[in-house]
Amino acid sequence: MIMRNDVLLEIATFLARRWSGNSKIVIVLSQDTAPISKPDKNQIIVPLINYYPGNDFQKYRQWRVALWYESMRMLYSTKVLSYDHAFGLLLNTIETKRLEILGLREWEGMIKEIIFNESISWLSRPLLNSLYGRHKVVEAFSQYFLTGYLKGELFGSEFDRVKKASDFANQLIEEAIKGGEGTNLIERHIPRLIKILEMDPLTSIPIIAPKTRSGMSLNQSDLLKQIEKAVTTRQKHDDIDKATKNVVEGNDVLREFETLLMESTKTENKGYESLENLGLSIPERMDLDETRIYDIDLIQKIKAAFRDWRTGWIERHDKTGEEFDPESYTEALPKPFLTDFKLSIKTKVAILLDHSSSIEDAELEYKQATIALCEALHYLGIKFAVYAFNTEARKVKCWIVKPPNVKWSVISARRLVQIGASGGTPLAEIYGLLIPVAKSFKPDIMVTLTDGEPSDFEAVREMVLSYRKMGIKMVALGVGRNLNDSVGIAHNLKYLNYEKTLAVSRLQDMPKKVINLLRA
Amino acid sequence: MLEVNYLDWNNALGILGKAYQTGLFALIIGPKGTGKTTLVRKFASQMKKELYSVNFSLRTRESHLIGTKTLDNGEISFVEGILVKSMRDASMLYLDELNAAEADVLLRLDEALDDRRQLVLKEAEGQIVNASSDWFVIATINPLSHVGTKELPPQLLSRFPIRLRLDYPPEETELQIINQHTEIDSSKIDDVKRAIKLAKVLREAAALEELYYSPSLRETIAFAKLLNTGIMSKQAAEIVYANVYDQWGEVEYRKVMDMITSIFGD
Repeated sequence: MIMRNDVLLEIATFLARRWSGNSKIVIVLSQDTAPISKPDKNQIIVPLINYYPGNDFQKYRQWRVALWYESMRMLYSTKVLSYDHAFGLLLNTIETKRLEILGLREWEGMIKEIIFNESISWLSRPLLNSLYGRHKVVEAFSQYFLTGYLKGELFGSEFDRVKKASDFANQLIEEAIKGGEGTNLIERHIPRLIKILEMDPLTSIPIIAPKTRSGMSLNQSDLLKQIEKAVTTRQKHDDIDKATKNVVEGNDVLREFETLLMESTKTENKGYESLENLGLSIPERMDLDETRIYDIDLIQKIKAAFRDWRTGWIERHDKTGEEFDPESYTEALPKPFLTDFKLSIKTKVAILLDHSSSIEDAELEYKQATIALCEALHYLGIKFAVYAFNTEARKVKCWIVKPPNVKWSVISARRLVQIGASGGTPLAEIYGLLIPVAKSFKPDIMVTLTDGEPSDFEAVREMVLSYRKMGIKMVALGVGRNLNDSVGIAHNLKYLNYEKTLAVSRLQDMPKKVINLLRA
Repeated sequence: MLEVNYLDWNNALGILGKAYQTGLFALIIGPKGTGKTTLVRKFASQMKKELYSVNFSLRTRESHLIGTKTLDNGEISFVEGILVKSMRDASMLYLDELNAAEADVLLRLDEALDDRRQLVLKEAEGQIVNASSDWFVIATINPLSHVGTKELPPQLLSRFPIRLRLDYPPEETELQIINQHTEIDSSKIDDVKRAIKLAKVLREAAALEELYYSPSLRETIAFAKLLNTGIMSKQAAEIVYANVYDQWGEVEYRKVMDMITSIFGD
């Protein structure tokens, strides 16, 4: 079974932000790249879980530990260099140990997973005998320094150098932690370390993904032995067998993994073989920063506005009633002046966003308002779907931003962020593409947000009618630059057979307008 | 008067004292469970004043504050509400969660709080109630992101020129506060520290709306109390902190459980 990217992204974002205490972190999932952090950009790049060897659960465990290390790097390191030359690799390796020590002070519970990770990645470490050239010493240093032992043999002075360098690096870490120093101190001493190892700082280091490393076939009994060894070295446990068993099982993470797998089974295409056949596309890039279209202030304001709705009950003040007279009150039957009625939020809504070139100058605001709307709909527990259209390479594209059966998450926001404003307003064509979706999702309302006139009036009129025949309430919302402009747009839209047309001149009001529509 | 347990970690009592001296009403702003009510109770007991409190909600009516007419032995009389009573008795009036009140209730309150400190009881033949000179009012409001809260109208805000922010205390202070509520065994102190760290992490996530609920000081106190009954730390954390998130789905619950696992281990 495969873990879906959006599920992975959601848990990664949560964990990394909480572990590092940095709420601005953006996670980038990348197919086959070793995990790396960019503290200056608040970015952590992690591979998909298939990057790691082992069964699915073992893969997830390694992925999670890698994420933890990178989160700690964001917290404690100020500089991360590339791993492909000796200087960078040495700095990062020493930093890894320093931040592991610091991190474990706060996140003690990670130790079991770190042991597991160390053991399983040990199996994919290269045998020193099989390495030639200068990077053999670097690999040996990394092995010995991080775990205290070596895989394969080193000859004569090589081991002395590695041991000396490792002792020096350990001292350095102790000094840094005691003195409250960070990456800078370590970096200043790397040249000395390179001298001890008798290397060239620019020696290039080949990076190979763990699962593709030579001789790598994961043997479970080897893994068990390795875990036992790591438990003995790392933990002062009385009962090594029990501790080893705990590490092997990883029960706490297992349940999390199972939950995420379950979440991943909620598929997007509802039995259709491919959405492309239906003419719909999914924006695919995952390496984008969606935070710029998140306007937290706006989101909170809108959520606050509909808070009572979420509880399901709202107080209604009746303006009618007789003047209060205590005497007649005691005589007559009491009249209630207050009634509560239950709001139902069973309305399903489909939202279609116009991304034609005319919204270009207000694109960011437009997207922010859309995000706020979606966040609020998600918060209110309303079933909704979001589609958008634009023109790319002279081809009209209808994008799925959020399908009805998938939970709203950052992944949908990332989809939205990459849809650029371009092209005209071929509304009828888009409605045509969306017919199969409308038939399967059966929204109660379809809200079309547009800022201009559709290319073909007559065709739109017909399409709107055919949607209405399916029992979908068709609403158009004209988005204009100012009041006059938007009223004008709404006025034009009126002639297109929509059941309701509205206008909005301030984009920030858009979410409230749409939600109030559902309330009616 | 009952002894109130409050650790004044940010000199809030001192500022309230100055507000009282100068006759300026005070407003305390802060998320739930940061000890706002305890602070006010402590202050009242320190000043040896009687404390009248109203806890506002959508259901709070004008009559709760002003009073109602009742029928007693065939005679209609007026029973004064808590606002009128406190004005007359020169006691301390505590308006809890003021921003949960309805607009019409706030309107009546505004009348009493303005500089004249005077209230006309249209309910009781236009009687005029003048507040005693050392009548004092403290209100609290929750941040707008809390359920059922509204923005307070600006004219009412201006009646409370002393504004205090009460946030969650620093970790060491939280430990001291817990210690005041329940004795922590020295062998459990590290577990309580971990729980405080966990609460901090969850509060940060809730502030960004990454989680739907923010644990209060009450939860860490409950955690410490549970530990004293012999429950293991991780289980106590699950009971007090994690289980509540299950109502927003299994994934939300697992996110919190992951934090617990990362912090507590075995």
